Amino acid sequence: MSQVYFDHAATTPTRPEVIEAMLPYLRERWGNPSSLHATGVKALEGIERAREQVAALLGAEPDEIIFTGSGTESDNHVLVGASITREARGNHIITSAIEHHAVIDTAEFLRDRGQRVTVLPVDSTGLVDPAAVRKALADDTILVSIMHANNEVGTIQPLAEIAGICRARDVLFHTDAVQTTGHLPIEVHAMNIDLLSLSAHKLYGPKGVGALFIRKGLKLVPFLHGGGQELGRRASTENVSGIVGLGEAARLAREEMSREIAHTTALRQRLIEGVLDRVPGVELTGHPELRLPNNASFCVRGADGESLLLNLDQEGFAVSTGSACTSGSLEPSHVLLALGLPPDLAKGSLRVSLGRGSTPEEVDRFLDVFPAIVERLRKTSPVPSTGAPADACG
Amino acid sequence: MTRSPDKTIDLRGTPCPLNWVRTKLRLEEMQPGMVLEVIVDAGGPARNVPRSVAAEGHKVLQIESSNEGVHVVIERC
Repeated sequence: MSQVYFDHAATTPTRPEVIEAMLPYLRERWGNPSSLHATGVKALEGIERAREQVAALLGAEPDEIIFTGSGTESDNHVLVGASITREARGNHIITSAIEHHAVIDTAEFLRDRGQRVTVLPVDSTGLVDPAAVRKALADDTILVSIMHANNEVGTIQPLAEIAGICRARDVLFHTDAVQTTGHLPIEVHAMNIDLLSLSAHKLYGPKGVGALFIRKGLKLVPFLHGGGQELGRRASTENVSGIVGLGEAARLAREEMSREIAHTTALRQRLIEGVLDRVPGVELTGHPELRLPNNASFCVRGADGESLLLNLDQEGFAVSTGSACTSGSLEPSHVLLALGLPPDLAKGSLRVSLGRGSTPEEVDRFLDVFPAIVERLRKTSPVPSTGAPADACG
Repeated sequence: MTRSPDKTIDLRGTPCPLNWVRTKLRLEEMQPGMVLEVIVDAGGPARNVPRSVAAEGHKVLQIESSNEGVHVVIERC
């Protein structure tokens, strides 16, 4: 029996259409896109088509898109690049407590080297308060980086409002949109976004390729040096087939987005309501409405997330606990702690993230096996099933 | 007299061969017989883009220089 994949926030399966689009760039169009001869130009065509496809998905101009090696690289480029580019103006960066490690760890790296970093708290649903952003802005603030939607609990931030506040103060606004690109509508210019990071493998594209939107006219020093690729903004011979795959994934996402949102939202609600109805002592984490269409995340009292994950794995379901990047650790994730969850409760976190291929039958099968797993674990788990108040989980 | 273009793209400041690649992508979206106007920089781009257009089998209807750049009018074949 093949495993039911409910971990689309970690990565998505590469779509067959994406693989088909990539193959010619591995077989015949293998040239170096920087070469001026016809073999090189054939590879360049693939990159430029992809640039237009990604730009169209974001409401951007093609020249505003550069391709990178990952969402993490895009985030690093923004934080380090903005710190250097705007050093004459100031050294203050504002971010939130629930950012991906690609932002948080880079901000800490910069803080260790003299940058001033403000980490804004979130409320119990994971929302950043735009008024807190406004209050934190100072004369030396150069960059605000707030993710579009959280990878663990799925909360969607009031991005346009926060970005508008930054634009009014001429402070750069960056968003890590790795979880939302291709899944939620994004119009970078209408939303006043200056910089946006995305990753191909979260929208049914290949791994090892990302992109960065840099608003036209905005100066940002390169992160990688060595060649003139990407019009001098990112050195390194391009991952041509990967970029082509990202472009095709972006094209498909743009075409199918409204259908996918409706599909995953309906399944998500079926799953959330089913879990809350059938298993006592389980609470939804994140915002009840402002959440990713495919994200169902919970805290299970009296069970630890890792055991839940492993037991569900044995039953044929791929899910996550905390976040994929921290599931090797027994410590609750920084996101769950930032929501104000007691550590012992946060240890019972479970993230179920659905995809375009998920079905009602799969959700129902999950609902059939989940209650018994929780019951079994509660009998054997060292995590106490009582103690914290019932409303402590968001 | 040259037909009025169905589409115009401004590729001034776009180096070779990127200007040709972007011209080609636009042509691919158009129906045979439609007319594309591209504005390129004088010098290499004004020589190379029409040459690549013709090599790809499209028809260069007109090349006209102005203060702003070189206007190349192409019929998609």
